[in-house]
Amino acid sequence: MVLTDLKQGDTAIITDLSKVNILVQQRLMHMGMIEGVQVVTKRSMPFGGPLFLESHGQNISIRRNEASRIRVEQL
Amino acid sequence: MSEIALFGNPNTGKTSLFNHLTGSYEYVGNWTGVTVEKKVGLLRDKKNHLIDLPGIYSLKPLSSDEDVATLFLLNEKFSKILNIIDASQLERNLHLTIQLLEFAKPMIIGLNMIDVSNQRGIKINETKLSELLGVSIFPIVARSGKGCKELLNSLDSNTSKNIESFKIDYGSILENKIEELSKLLPSNLNISKRWLAIQYFEGNEQVKKYLQSFIPENCLQEIYLDTEKQLITTEALSSLTKFIHNKRHQHIKKITSQILVKTKTTKPTFTDRLDNIVTNKVLGIPIFLTLLYITFMLTFDWLGFPLADILDGFISGPLTNWIMALLGLIGASAFLESLVIDGIIAGVGGVLVFVPQIFILFFAISLLEDSGYMARVAMVMDKLMEKVGLNGKAFIPMIIGFGCNVPGVMAARTIEQPKERLLTTLLTPFMSCSARLPVYALFVGAFFVKYQAFVVLSLYVLGIVIALILARIFSSVLLKNETSVFIIELPPYRVPQIRTLFRSTWDKGKGFIRKAGTIIFAGSVLIWLLSYSGPSGFDVPMNESFLAMIGGIIAPLFTPLGFGTWQAGAGLLTGFLAKEVIISTMSIIYFVPEANLQAFMATQFTPLSAFSFMVFVLLYVPCLATVVVIQKELNSKKWMAFSVFISFFIAYVLSFLIYQGGKLIGF
Ligand SMILES: Nc1nc2c(ncn2[C@@H]2O[C@H](COP(=O)(O)OP(=O)(O)OP(=O)(O)O)[C@@H](O)[C@H]2O)c(=O)[nH]1
Repeated sequence: MVLTDLKQGDTAIITDLSKVNILVQQRLMHMGMIEGVQVVTKRSMPFGGPLFLESHGQNISIRRNEASRIRVEQL
Repeated sequence: MSEIALFGNPNTGKTSLFNHLTGSYEYVGNWTGVTVEKKVGLLRDKKNHLIDLPGIYSLKPLSSDEDVATLFLLNEKFSKILNIIDASQLERNLHLTIQLLEFAKPMIIGLNMIDVSNQRGIKINETKLSELLGVSIFPIVARSGKGCKELLNSLDSNTSKNIESFKIDYGSILENKIEELSKLLPSNLNISKRWLAIQYFEGNEQVKKYLQSFIPENCLQEIYLDTEKQLITTEALSSLTKFIHNKRHQHIKKITSQILVKTKTTKPTFTDRLDNIVTNKVLGIPIFLTLLYITFMLTFDWLGFPLADILDGFISGPLTNWIMALLGLIGASAFLESLVIDGIIAGVGGVLVFVPQIFILFFAISLLEDSGYMARVAMVMDKLMEKVGLNGKAFIPMIIGFGCNVPGVMAARTIEQPKERLLTTLLTPFMSCSARLPVYALFVGAFFVKYQAFVVLSLYVLGIVIALILARIFSSVLLKNETSVFIIELPPYRVPQIRTLFRSTWDKGKGFIRKAGTIIFAGSVLIWLLSYSGPSGFDVPMNESFLAMIGGIIAPLFTPLGFGTWQAGAGLLTGFLAKEVIISTMSIIYFVPEANLQAFMATQFTPLSAFSFMVFVLLYVPCLATVVVIQKELNSKKWMAFSVFISFFIAYVLSFLIYQGGKLIGF
């Protein structure tokens, strides 16, 4: 399953980031979002706007199309 | 005197610490990457310099403001590193710390946000951490200054030596390659070879360029590919960058497991609760627009206008009278009197009147930045920006551009994608900066008394709309093959400190006052001189002055736009120096003692041509300072020229359409 399949408030573990745009991938890495880390989808912006994610206490926003390339396993 | 370099992740309180340690106050912002320039301060004990570097997550740069840090390490001389760490985000921050430790220079760590981490129930064993990393660590709260004294004292003591002890084992394959690469480097290098090698393997482009001056490119490339191949086959990993990151991550986990104690589970924070409202699916955009509207009304209508009126009353009333009396007292000549009254007071005073409004606007922008809301704006607006081919981060330079285009253009540096950054830089000047406000104020006061706020708002919106349309067009031409990306960290909300807020408002606004004392002063004197003299000598009627001649040359160009007078031409010409100079020029030209400037203007403009003129002023060429900064930021004369040309072209076409169209439908 991918990150966009999660409902608001769901928690999941990232399993694969390799399909994500390389720039985004590296930024995510900088912010500590790598494989094996927990994420929560907090909410999404209207009209298919970006997602609002939380991962160990920090908030990050990325676009829906990038999020749909992140494989996760729901907890 | 030696130099100490301050490194840290974005939003860790670097700027706050800088201010505490140096006393000289710097600009404090809260959205990722406000500190984009190298800033140097003198430490409070006057012994060393502290250099503030942009906030970075890693030494491997992704955006151009991040290049600064690596370039600094490669090229500059300094004696010590001060690394500031956010205690509430320890793991992430330690990645940078490790890279800095690998650089093997004397280093001290300031463990910041201790108050926040305590609140979250995180306890850190500092002594143990200091042992594990092999450097001194000082717990601090940069916001209040707690612990900063101890830190400052230790910065002075020259006891800290180079750290050789810190080393992560990257595994035999990579370690061998690091060794191999190091051997290729000249032995007299004063930068750690191990660090250079690791950074190169991690994919640091700046380090790669640096290494190319010693090692042929193909040789470098070969080592890299060979290493990656070996690692991918043995470790089943997608890239070298990732491999190195993972190794560090493991090491950090090992460290934190020994020093971190979580004493309680966290409840929803203030930030969470506020975000529930502010970034709410339905309310997010309306809230942002409302905030913009309130800012606008405060600046222009509710608070700014009455204040400007009072100031205007003072300058044109008592102040002018006092100076007249003074001039009379010292027996000044008619020439000098005219210079001071008709030139300087009219020119500089006409601009100074707007100081209150400009400061209100800067205050509001500082508030948005310092509170952490700016990053939310980027997120909320991303969808719209994506539609025109940009990303939400481009919205931040534009908002800053409402204050002044110069810092706006510089703020575009945080955008990772080079083409998107280029576009944002080119479009930011279309944002109506505060220097254009005086022009609108003068004209709406004369022609649109009833609809003042509405007319001015329409100009601001016009600037945004034009920028968005151009973004759409340019991105489909320029960015055809590039995917637009967006990722932003949303820092926790923090209640801005009043002191910080006032200082950062002042820092932004003082440039405006300085301009009034320099460019505008000089411009006013020059313009007055040109208006006072003519081919037939001094004290000529205005219409026979040099100024009238110069303005008259370009005036016909503007006839189709409705303002083909030499006065408008002269104003626009001088307005390139700084947009406020348009007002100085007009104030000097239309200076009619005992008569009202605005009433007099009514004989020169119709409401339609006045509107056309305002639109033209909004859009035509960025001011000199902005043009210079665009050239510097993009490092290209071609793009600078393009920016000037395109804005003039659009201004001309639009004003033409407005004026001719307006006439057709009977205005
Ligand atoms: N509670 C708390 N807040 C802090 C502390 N240090 C800084 N802050 C706040 O954190 C926010 C960001 O601080 P800055 O000093 O702007 O951080 P910075 O690292 O310079 O940020 P950038 O320049 O944007 O990278 C400000 O609102 C500060 O008031 C601290 O120790 N405790």
